[in-house]
Amino acid sequence: MTAVLVVVGHGMVGHRLVQELRSRDTAGRWRVVVLGEENRPAYDRTALSSYLDGKSAHDLTLLGHDLLHDSLVEWRFGVRVTHVDRVACLVTTSDGASVRYDALVLATGSRPFVPPIPGRDLPGCFVYRTLDDLDLLRAAAAPDRPGVVIGGGLLGLEAANALRLLGMRPRVVEMAPHLMPAQIDPDAGRLLGDLVGRVGITAHCGVATQRVEAGADGRVRAVKLSDGSTIEADVVVFSAGVRARDDLADGAGLPRGERGGFLVDDRCRTPDPHIWAVGECAAVNGRVYGLVVPGYRMADAVAAVLLGQGDAAFPGADMSTKLKLFGVDVASFGDAHGRTEGAWDLVYADEDAGTYARLVLAADDATLLGGVLVGDAAAYPVLRPLIGHRLPAAPEYLLRARS
Amino acid sequence: MTRLLIVGNGPAAHRFVGQAHRRGYRGTITVLGAEPVAAYNRVLLPSVLAGVLPPAAVALPGPPGTADVRLGVTAVAVDRRRRLVLTGDGHGYPYDHLVLATGARARVPAVAGLRRVDGRPHPRVRVVRALDDCTNLPAGRVVVLGAGVLGVEVAAALRAAGRAVSLVHCHPAPMNRQLDPAAGGMLVRHLESARVEVLLDGRAVEYRRGVLRLADGRRLPADVLLLCVGAEPDTRLARRAGLEVRHGVVVDARLRTSDPRISAIGDCAELDGVVAGRVTVAWEQADTLAAVLTGEPARHRPSRPLTRLCAGGVDVAAIGPTDVPDGQTVLLSDPVRGRYARVTLRHERVARAVVVGLPHAAAALTQLYDRDTPLPGGMLGLLLGAAGCDDPDYEMPAEAVICMCNNVTKQALHDAWHEWGARDVGALATATRATTGCGRCVDVVRRICEALR
Repeated sequence: MTAVLVVVGHGMVGHRLVQELRSRDTAGRWRVVVLGEENRPAYDRTALSSYLDGKSAHDLTLLGHDLLHDSLVEWRFGVRVTHVDRVACLVTTSDGASVRYDALVLATGSRPFVPPIPGRDLPGCFVYRTLDDLDLLRAAAAPDRPGVVIGGGLLGLEAANALRLLGMRPRVVEMAPHLMPAQIDPDAGRLLGDLVGRVGITAHCGVATQRVEAGADGRVRAVKLSDGSTIEADVVVFSAGVRARDDLADGAGLPRGERGGFLVDDRCRTPDPHIWAVGECAAVNGRVYGLVVPGYRMADAVAAVLLGQGDAAFPGADMSTKLKLFGVDVASFGDAHGRTEGAWDLVYADEDAGTYARLVLAADDATLLGGVLVGDAAAYPVLRPLIGHRLPAAPEYLLRARS
Repeated sequence: MTRLLIVGNGPAAHRFVGQAHRRGYRGTITVLGAEPVAAYNRVLLPSVLAGVLPPAAVALPGPPGTADVRLGVTAVAVDRRRRLVLTGDGHGYPYDHLVLATGARARVPAVAGLRRVDGRPHPRVRVVRALDDCTNLPAGRVVVLGAGVLGVEVAAALRAAGRAVSLVHCHPAPMNRQLDPAAGGMLVRHLESARVEVLLDGRAVEYRRGVLRLADGRRLPADVLLLCVGAEPDTRLARRAGLEVRHGVVVDARLRTSDPRISAIGDCAELDGVVAGRVTVAWEQADTLAAVLTGEPARHRPSRPLTRLCAGGVDVAAIGPTDVPDGQTVLLSDPVRGRYARVTLRHERVARAVVVGLPHAAAALTQLYDRDTPLPGGMLGLLLGAAGCDDPDYEMPAEAVICMCNNVTKQALHDAWHEWGARDVGALATATRATTGCGRCVDVVRRICEALR
């Protein structure tokens, strides 16, 4: 007898769950119903800016032909779930339908956070999350005109790259003293600011945005910063963080994490034995992860549980990231900020070449805990797997690693 | 026979006399020392101050040969026309060649209360320059004013000898001329963990009733106040004699002053605008002058800057000039265990290094710098004194996760290779799903394939 698994949300993590489950469910225990809000199937959100660089939506899609035509998966796109009835084990959708479930996995992801500053709703303001957002941005962009990105983290730099690809002149505003504060240290951040500047992107760090100002036509004209200065802008893109989409929690009577997200344990279970949450909408023991790889690990764990193939806990997240934008490489891996007790830093910096490599080592003076690479991250695939292991060779050799 | 006269009996003069004798100088040598004691090693004075060494232990071996050393004789004027040095006791000493080795005088800062009302020095206030300053230190809490090399050394030595010590500095970090701010911070931690009280950004204003008051209002009880705020070249004699004097007595590379019959060496001499103020430089200058005066075409080459301080558990080294552009830098920062090293490399050689709390590294880097030899291997091994693995064909551990998106370990790739016959990247991708996510691990997977072949 086939049970019904309903997956709410078809982003990268929701897709991973379906993929993983279907590839391992050889006995056909589960029939899957996927309810995706966007009008398109899951696509590679981490490669969003390539959509403006010659790639089509089709190129980015993750849903392959086989899975699309899998007889045990029913795909419904452009459908938003509005309510979860835990007693009746039923979800209701925006088009009025109801779907019964034996197991429910919430994979609703996040929405962009737009800070409550005056002018944020003016025409010319955008967020940077979906392909639809990019279509709107493309329509509004004008060559050689100024654009401002609010938020200088990973996503903000990608958005700045998107503006650059659209021919605009991007500037980035970041509250912390340097770019990518969550991933890299201040010295790396300084170098990153320099390198990014060399490719024409100006970063304004250590300032907050006070207001977005309109021109005579009612559209965005400029952005006023907390240091009193004003930057011209035809387009403003908010990339100041994301908030988990946990709107269904209240109606379903499910608890939220302190910082939002469906509260789950380290097996991604909500208090309801039939409901799990994975990806950016899940608060694992209260913690939300904004990167896709932890979400993949959650999806793998839940797929295994659904198939009775183990009860492994979510193994914790590797928060490593690697980014290559405008010819500038940045990578951050493991305990990049050296928060482990007894951790210390080894930094190799070359001002002339514009490279920076910081290795975080453990108190035993031999184990690699994490690191940051700026300017040349070719050693990332070599270093990242070594986290938690003794350095097998002198750092100079590892850093010069080329394949 | 030429008559060689030396004014001063410090380390520079002592070294010079020894070298001149070794080189077979044929004339007479006369030394006029103002202090009533035989020449001593000034570098060891902090240990005398701390009571660790008795004064006799710092005496330098007696002058060789027939050098005539007059102690307690102060030169007050030089009559260049008659080639005569006039002394405070009314004598005149003739010379054919005169060497000024008058050293430096401790700077006395503009702090009220350092002298008594009648102008006599305060009994609890001392400079740290002469042997006399360092004996019979009064009991009680010592406040050291000035955290340059000398002040840090004195504070650490006194603390190690069990005295209660405070160290006051008017800059935000100690040894700010030699160390970058991060190294300075590390030095502060070392001092504080040795329980030296460190007060930075503190300018002393007044010393009264045993209390030192700072400009910002902080007050420190001080039973003894040691002034370590620097030294000025002692150029009085040279000035009065009309020789060219800027900050120090100006000399050329042969240590000659503006008068061809007068040379100057040591802390009183200025070469190329620099008064080195270090004993190693004084020795080098003494060696050069001895060579010059015994007929060799020697020239003093400015030595490479080097400061090493090991006192009371504090080990600091500043190697090379401070104005080296950053270039390639290796930084080791371990605040938890008090280890710090910042090394700037140029063409694989050490151009500048600052080291705190890593005595072996300091020694190794000093050697490399002195000999200007390229680094033998990896920097980490050198800094930690470990043999380190410099093998470029290293092994990635088996449990290392190669493909993050699909959670594939190196072991899994090996298994797929051996058990499933997957012999290229494509086959491995099918067998393990490695490289099918973001694709960034493809280079490493290829390398693993090549290693397996």
